[in-house]
Order: sequence, then structure tokens, then C-alpha cells
Amino acid sequence: MIETRELTKYFGGLCAINNLNLKVNPGEILGLIGPNGTGKTTAFNLLTGFIRPTSGRILFEGRDITDKSAHARVKLGLARTFQLVRSFPDFTIKRNMVAASFLHPKIGFWEAIFYTPQYRRKEKQIAEETGTILQFLGLDSLENEIVRNLPHGYQIMVGIAIALATKPKLLLLDEPLAGLSPAEVSRALEIIRELRRRGTTIMLIEHNMAAVMNVCDRLVVLNFGTEIANGSPDDVSHNKDVIQAYLGVRKNAA
Amino acid sequence: MRLGRNFGWLIVIVVAFLIPLLLHDSQYFLSVFVMCLINVLLTSSLRSTASTGQVSLGIMAFMGIGAFTSALLMMKLSFPIWAALPLAGLAAMAVAAVIGFPFVRVTGLYFAMVTLFFCEVIRLILTQWRTMTGGSTGIVNIPSVGTISVLGLNINFSHILPYSYFALFVTVVSLLILYRIDRSHLGTHFASIGQDESVAESIGINVIWFKVFSFCIGCFFAGVAGSLYAHFLTVLYPDVFSIFPSIYILIYMVAGGRKSFIGPILGAIILTVIPELFLSLKTYQPFIYVAFLYIVLYSMPGGLVTLPGIIGARFATMRQARLRND
Amino acid sequence: MLLQGFYNGLSAGSIYVMIALGLALVFSIMRILQFAHGEIYMLGAYVAYYAYAQAGLNFFAALIVSGIALAAVGVFLEKYMFRRLRANVEPALLAAIGLSLILQNAAVIAFSNYTKYIQVPAWLSGVVMLGGAGIPSLRLIIAIIGLVLVIALVLIIRLTKVGRAMVAISQDSDAAALHGINVNRISSLSMAIGCAMAAIAGGLMGALLGLSPYMGTFALTKAIAVIILGGIGSIPGAILGGFIIGLLDNLLPLYTNTTIAAIAGFSVIIIILLIRPRGLLGRE
Repeated sequence: MIETRELTKYFGGLCAINNLNLKVNPGEILGLIGPNGTGKTTAFNLLTGFIRPTSGRILFEGRDITDKSAHARVKLGLARTFQLVRSFPDFTIKRNMVAASFLHPKIGFWEAIFYTPQYRRKEKQIAEETGTILQFLGLDSLENEIVRNLPHGYQIMVGIAIALATKPKLLLLDEPLAGLSPAEVSRALEIIRELRRRGTTIMLIEHNMAAVMNVCDRLVVLNFGTEIANGSPDDVSHNKDVIQAYLGVRKNAA
Repeated sequence: MRLGRNFGWLIVIVVAFLIPLLLHDSQYFLSVFVMCLINVLLTSSLRSTASTGQVSLGIMAFMGIGAFTSALLMMKLSFPIWAALPLAGLAAMAVAAVIGFPFVRVTGLYFAMVTLFFCEVIRLILTQWRTMTGGSTGIVNIPSVGTISVLGLNINFSHILPYSYFALFVTVVSLLILYRIDRSHLGTHFASIGQDESVAESIGINVIWFKVFSFCIGCFFAGVAGSLYAHFLTVLYPDVFSIFPSIYILIYMVAGGRKSFIGPILGAIILTVIPELFLSLKTYQPFIYVAFLYIVLYSMPGGLVTLPGIIGARFATMRQARLRND
Repeated sequence: MLLQGFYNGLSAGSIYVMIALGLALVFSIMRILQFAHGEIYMLGAYVAYYAYAQAGLNFFAALIVSGIALAAVGVFLEKYMFRRLRANVEPALLAAIGLSLILQNAAVIAFSNYTKYIQVPAWLSGVVMLGGAGIPSLRLIIAIIGLVLVIALVLIIRLTKVGRAMVAISQDSDAAALHGINVNRISSLSMAIGCAMAAIAGGLMGALLGLSPYMGTFALTKAIAVIILGGIGSIPGAILGGFIIGLLDNLLPLYTNTTIAAIAGFSVIIIILLIRPRGLLGRE
């Protein structure tokens, strides 16, 4: 669904991503893992258009999107969440969802000013569709809460909710499980699986190894901006390069 | 729009329309009323631009462009007021669109600097373009609105009482438009950009385009305010449209409370009226402004508009304490 | 004629650089746009005036007194007003704007509206011939003082420990603090230096063109123009930008009138912004 070709990114003299050839297949849940600072979020930023590559190309559903801006990629069906929970903290959940419904449906300027019946209809449509998403994530009872006041677990869900409001084909989740309790983690994994069942391809960055092994179909391991392993969770966890990369933590266990 | 919530507003508007009648025998207070309306419009325009996180220190530049455009269209090309006014807005908006694209790429503080700088440039251009603007001495004898036939009556809007109604009408319509924008999905998008540009980008909002758009809307109404000003005063000097008045408008907005829609309106009204009520304090006007600014900055960050809320909360805790002691 | 313009441009550039460096220094270390910087410049002019014309001090001593006085004011402002607002960009800007209004209007009330003039000592009112054109001695002194101060500042930044601390803070104040740098003390120092330079520039300009409570606005606008041109966060940029604008302001009027020259100068900056938003040497 999305693939990169020889994707490279230099920050000044530092090579953050080195000739990465990544491929995400439709309908899979792909985990991007690796020790801290090895370029995972950079990879996400490159894929979603928040930074531009030094060289290489990115293809989404066969189309070259390397030169497309971030918001244009969202329009094509590529959505993301951010590390450390980011949504619109001063808005209520409901308003967050309205904000996120920018793309679907398209509302015109004059419609809004004159408050036409079409506008009112579209408002209702947005409320219904986003209501479904909120229900799916268990947030519907909290619609009118201001996000800033919500506990961390819920804020993460809001972040996912607004990404889902863009009706993505491919969803990139950046450490969605950080700071969640074990119960919240399994709930989140359930949601991820359900999303896949409904047709969304998912790629996630995560450090929670147990969760990653549990939910991902395939893993790609990055170290210093290069792919060092690619395969099923089982294969990867026994790969000695991977074990070494994690600085011998596994070595002791083995 | 539910009638219940808006009934209060209807009353406010009716009251506003009664004010000129109450003041009809004071030329001076009617002038204050008109200036107040102009300030309200300017402050609301500034808020529109500021809602996407871009605080402009140069709104006077756009007011000046609007003022001179409107004056010249009526003087040299004999345009009627109902054409000159919106064209003034469009002229200001056009300039905003042109400089908008490069300007919005720079972040908050830097944006404040370049807009301040731009205000100076426009003031100098207006001073220089002698053929059009009369140089530093400006232009005089700008036609005011003239006689218009309203409901069969010929009303001469050049007199101050009818003009205050004209200004009130224009201001109310403009505020209605700004209000609709703010309440609609558009306002939500602006506010979302103001909170976190990256998140906004990540949900498909073309942040740069929207920032330019909010800038243009604000500048359009600043141009309209300029037109109102030109035909009210009937004289224009380029020096009026400089940095410090722009800063005053900013202070009105911050003092009133920039998060809400009414906040800036309130700030403009209070800060325009107070120095006029206490004429002896006129020399100290800037100090009054700064006092309000600092009070808001340090103890009422939401602006004066949050004052009722603060007082209400204070009463609530007092009542609770008293109930507990009983 | 051209040479004349060039000399005037150099002296104007010196002043602009002195003012802009102060603003740039405070900005890169405290991340605050010190909106009242122009008023510091203006107050520097008045303090120098009173020290020289009323108290009878030597002209240069008056400048130094002014520098020290305003440096003290700067330290006071940093400690009691700006320190707590260091992280908040907008409240800091608004507080500085408020300060600027207070100082400007207090000056209008205290010093009245009309321009005062300083009678410079006799040996400074002459004209020096340099390479075929005359440069007023005062302008020459301004250029020299400006150059000396700028070089001194650059040397401080490059060679002393304090200077290196400043560079560290300007890149990442948290990291600098973690390395044991006393950010408060360095902020105080940079504010002191910035205000002192502005004050001296004010004193010199006051001597050259006269004093008015509104002279600060001119200084602030020029300083901002210099920073935009030279690049935000860049000290060498401010130096380069200051001299470029100084030269433009004095060479262009030779071919057109002053207002068009000013507009052209400004437009050049806007164009540079379009092509290179970071400014000539800017980093952030």
C-alpha cells in the first residue's frame, strides 16, 4: 500500500534514515520497532510529509507522493497520530471531531455564512459519523468534555479518533500505548485489530514489546536509520542482529 | 440558530440602535459612538486574524489602505458609498492576500515583527504617493455618504446622527458575518490551527492557505473600518495609520479576551469609552490602556470578558464556605 | 557625493547596529522581543543630555554614565518583569509593549513634546576631510564608537567563557542550564549590555539629530528591520544588516527623495523575506 524506495534523510551531517526500502501491505498491521533514536518517528514524518527526504521516493497505492504536502497526503487516505498525545486540548471532544471532519464532507464558505439548510444537513451528517467513531472508541459519553481535562488514556483515544475522522486507508500510530495501563493497552489492541478488520491498514511505532508481538502481523526493525530485520514477530525476536541492537538486554535473557 | 440564546443579542442590538437617539444632542458623544464602532470592527478583525495564532501588529496599514481607497473612489471616480465601502475592504484584502503567503510562513513572534514593519512601509508609501494621497498633509473634503432615499425619506447621511446609524448598520452586519464565520466549521478550523498547527495539518487542513484566509478576512473588515473612518472624518492623514494605534487595537483585543467573540468587542468599547468619559485623563490615556493590559495579563488572562465568571466563582465559593459554617 | 553618502551610511549603520545588536542579544538569550528597546534608546539620549548639558560632564563621560544607568534599568527590568515571562512569548511581548507605552508617555509628560538639541563640544562640531569628502567629526566618532563596541561584543562572545555561555543559551537554554550555566545571570548580563548599547546609541543620535520622546519608535523600527534582514537569532546578521540598511538609507536619497528611499529600503527587506525567510544569515 505504501512503499519507500531508497529513502534517505540527512539532518546536516547526521544520517537519520539510510536507504530505507519499506513496504506496507494492504490489510496488515505492521510494527516499526527499534531502539530509541533510531529514526522511527523520522520515518513517520517522512511518510506523512512533515519533513522532506534528502533523496528517495515514497509511493502510496502506486502513486508517487514524495512531493505532496502533508495535508494533501491526508486527503489521499494517509493519516497519523503523534507521540505524546496530540489533539486539540482546548476543545471538547465533539469540537475536535468537527475540526477533524474537514475533508468529509466538503463544506463551502458561503454555506456556512448564510447557515443554509445544506450546511445544517452537513453538520448533522458530521455529528452522526463522528458519533459512530466516538462510540467505537468508547468516547461518546464524554463528547462535551474538554480534552485537556481528560485522563491520559482517553486523550490517546481522542488522538486516534481525530485521525479516524479523516477516513484513512493507512493509519500510522506513533507510540499509541505509551503511558497506558495494562487494561487500557488490551483495549487499545482490540481497537487496532477491529480497525484492521474494517479495512484500515495500520503501521505502528511501539516500545511495548509484548503488545507488539501480540498484535502485529509483521515487524520491521530499524537501527541507525537502516532496516536490520523484517519478518514475523517470532522470526524477528530470534534474529541476533535485533538482539544485539537492543544492547544486550535480550542477550542476558538468552 | 436557536432563538433563546440569541434573544439576548437581539436586545443588545436594539439597545445599540437606540443609543444614537439618546445622544442626539451631543455632537461630541455621537463622535465617540462612531469611533467606538470603528474600534469594535477593527478589534474584531484583528481577532479573526489572531484566531489562527498570528498576532498582527500592523492592522492600521490595512485600515489606511481601505480608507484611502474608499475616499479616492468617491472623490475621483464618483462611486457611491455602497460600492466604495466593500471595494475598500477588497483592496485591503487584496494586499493581505499578496503579502499573506510569504508572511504566514513565519512563526508568531517573527510574524508580529514583519507586520509591524509592514505597517511602517504602508504609512511611508501613503505619505509618498502624493498624487493619490496628498502626501503628509493628506486629503480633505472627502465626500461623506450624501443623501440617500430610505423608505421614501431623503436622509442626508453626512450629518452625524444619520451617519452614526449608517456606521452602526455596517458594523452590525460585519459583526454578524464575522460571528457566523467564527461559529461555523471555518471558525473551528481557524481555532484548531491556532492551537496546534501540526495536528491541524495531520487531519488534512491546508494550514498555510487557512492562515492566509483568516488574515484576508480580518484585513477585509479592517479596510471596511477604514472606509467608515474616512467618510466620517472627511479628512485623512497618512500618519494616523501607524504602529501605535495598531498596538492600541491589540490591547483592546487582549484586554477584552481574545478567545471569545465578544471579548474583543467588549475590550474595544470599554477602552474607547473610558478615556472619553473622564476627559481630564486624556493625557493619561496610554497609561489607562497599559493598566488594563497589565491587569488582564497578570490576573485575568482570559480577558475582561471572564470577569463575570470570576466574580461568579468567587461568590460560589463564598456561599459554600458560609453554608459549611452554618 | 557618493563618498559623502557612504560615510553617512557608515555612521548611520553604526547606530543601527548598536541598537539592533542589543535587541538581537536579548532576543536570542531571553527569547523575548524587547519592545521597549526603543524607549531605552530614548532614555539613554535624555540621560546623556542631562549629564552633559545640565551636570556639565564631559561628553564621553555622559555617554558612559548613560550606558551604566540604562544597563542598571535593564537588569532591573529583566529581574522583575521579564524573568518570569521567559517561556511565554505572547505575554512577554504584551508586557514589553505596555512598558514601551509607559516609558514613552512618561517621557512626553516629563520632557514635553518638542525636540531638544545638544550642543556638542567644539572639537566635535567640525568636519574631517577623508579621501575627498567631508565627514562631520561627530559622525566619524559615531562610526568609530560603533565599530569599537561591536568588535568588543563580538570578542566577548567568541573568546570569553561568558560569551560561550551566551551562545549555548541561545541554542538551547535548558541544555545550557543542565551544564551548569547560570541562565539568570547571563540574561541579566545580556540585558545590561543590550540596554547600555542602546543608551549610548541614543546619546550619540541625540547629539546628532536632537532628542524627542518619540525617537524610540524610529529606533525600534530600524532595529526590527535590521533583524529581519540579517536573520533572526544571528549576531553577525544584525551587524551585516545594520550596515546594509544604514548605507541604503544614505545612498538611495542621493538619487531619489528620502521617503522613496525609505520605502525602497523597506521593500528590499520584504523581498528578501519572500525569497529567504530566514534572513541573510539567519538560523532559526
